[in-house]
Amino acid sequence: MGYQVQELVGTVHEAAWLPWAVQYFFLIAVSATALLLALPGFVLGREGALPASRLALMVAVTTGITAPIALLADLHQPFRFWEFFIYTHRTSWMAWGAWVVPSYVALTLGFAWAVHRPAFFQMGQDNWRFAWLFRLLSLGGSGNAFAPLIGIGAGLTALGILTYTGMEVMIVRARPLWNTPFLPLQFAATGAVGALGVMLVLERSLCRDGNLEAALNRRLAIALGLVSVLGGLWFALALSGLSPRHSEALASVAGFPTWQKIAAWGALSIVVPFVIALVLPRRSGWVTGLIAIHAAWMFRWTVFMGGQAVPKVGSGLYDALMPTGLSGLMGVIGTFGLWLFLLIAYTTFVPWTLAGRPDNTRTATGPARSI
Amino acid sequence: MDTTRRGFLGTIGKVTIGAAASVAGASRSATAATQSGAADRSVAHWGMVVDLRKCIGCQACTVACIMENDVPEDAFRTHVSVYELVKDGQDPAMVMLPRLCNHCDDPPCLPVCPVEATFKAENGEVLVDASKCVGCAYCVQACPYDARFINHETQVADKCTFCFHRTQAGLLPACVETCVGGARNFGDLNDPESEVSRMLRENEVSVLRPEMHTNPNVYYIGLDDVLDGRIAGDAAYTPPVETAHRAIHEEGA
Repeated sequence: MGYQVQELVGTVHEAAWLPWAVQYFFLIAVSATALLLALPGFVLGREGALPASRLALMVAVTTGITAPIALLADLHQPFRFWEFFIYTHRTSWMAWGAWVVPSYVALTLGFAWAVHRPAFFQMGQDNWRFAWLFRLLSLGGSGNAFAPLIGIGAGLTALGILTYTGMEVMIVRARPLWNTPFLPLQFAATGAVGALGVMLVLERSLCRDGNLEAALNRRLAIALGLVSVLGGLWFALALSGLSPRHSEALASVAGFPTWQKIAAWGALSIVVPFVIALVLPRRSGWVTGLIAIHAAWMFRWTVFMGGQAVPKVGSGLYDALMPTGLSGLMGVIGTFGLWLFLLIAYTTFVPWTLAGRPDNTRTATGPARSI
Repeated sequence: MDTTRRGFLGTIGKVTIGAAASVAGASRSATAATQSGAADRSVAHWGMVVDLRKCIGCQACTVACIMENDVPEDAFRTHVSVYELVKDGQDPAMVMLPRLCNHCDDPPCLPVCPVEATFKAENGEVLVDASKCVGCAYCVQACPYDARFINHETQVADKCTFCFHRTQAGLLPACVETCVGGARNFGDLNDPESEVSRMLRENEVSVLRPEMHTNPNVYYIGLDDVLDGRIAGDAAYTPPVETAHRAIHEEGA
């Protein structure tokens, strides 16, 4: 039977999860995957992995602090955040996330502190204006043999972050685009793309070590390859009808030219850095890094803001434009501004270049900082 | 007949008086909150039967709800969607579809609430404890009917309460009270003698989005299958970007 329907009177539902949510899911995924990338150097003790691990830990700490602030801002009653810890509803992934996020941030900060403790101690021994601060920070010692243990704890909570953020969105049956089993994996894989993108940009800004750039580009190519495979499987499942949930997700957006353009743009932002990273792993870090960051962020914007623009019962599409004001553009700029500030503070005050393999037999061998 | 005020007052004696209403719903109380009123047949289980043959799309229910519940300007707890439906090239027909919270027996909005602010009241209403809601909007995402929203005046989740404050006082929901054509019928689904039970027995009824298995308590008489889910047609409102694209396209053509 042929039908033609024209909606004459309907309502528009604004997005309930604001761009703050995009920022949170972007930053926390970057942080969690970066933390996992920091483990080879600081937990497994691989000397060759240290340069990448230092950058990864910097990314994990700075984004790990910024992300929960964006999350808090997305609450419409931010001053009631304490209720998460009083009324934990066990059936809600968000309720579990409320416990996982602070655990992750605390363990990540503790891990970073433990890794840098010897250098903090060293700087506290020097004769300079802020030596007292670093003596306080080192808690009077330089031993950090316990760092791998904290790192393992942080790594487990990072896996918890990737699990809960993915599941929290994936279980929403009312939104077909979210309710696909691949979504948690796609969040994790694109999170790794974002983390490696940031590491590449930081490498170009702070290190300019061609070998490290090439190594990071190789890892980025692997992460982008994984994203491509997941994306390809997603489409294959949707088109073949093997997975009704994927088919429903595709059907919910496939007919709209806007979504076709988004899909093409998304594919390009994966393929282009993948090819560049493979063909030109050196001197391409800025390009591949920035495109990778863009791809990871855009994926979340598309999922959250685009997903909310698909009506559950109405016709057509709602707005998915970036609103101005504190809950939109200013919020995005502000979050990135805070992150940039933390990066500057980290590289200024934390002796990150001295971070080495955890070792409780370490002794002071010389000044950690020129006076 | 419990859709009238007199009939409704008769049934109210059977229910337990619960908690007082608050802005976005009602404050939870030990007496009012249970897992589901459907389990106990001696307790009223509120439901609505919407006879689409009688709805004229006047939006009196929409306005009555806004006035009764102080709904902010940019939101609706209920409204009537209106569609032009052309079947097999026949003459177009105007179809009305009143929408509201379905007060499901298995509400997807309930398990996702991280602080248990959303709960099912004794008589089956799905309510929000406004004093507890953190405004995370997870329930807004989980509702398959787009029946929830964040109230920008209270900054908490907001939705239809089946006019909890009115039913507790023996009154009908405002939308039912004001319905011009008698399309909206409200009553106790547990009472086989109630008007809504009789309507369910005597008519073929449908629910919205049956594939979601939410067991809604809002039923429709005369609902076309093509309208029970997401409506695959042109929207009444086109976002600015789409409008701009269309204008450019048309200009180019």
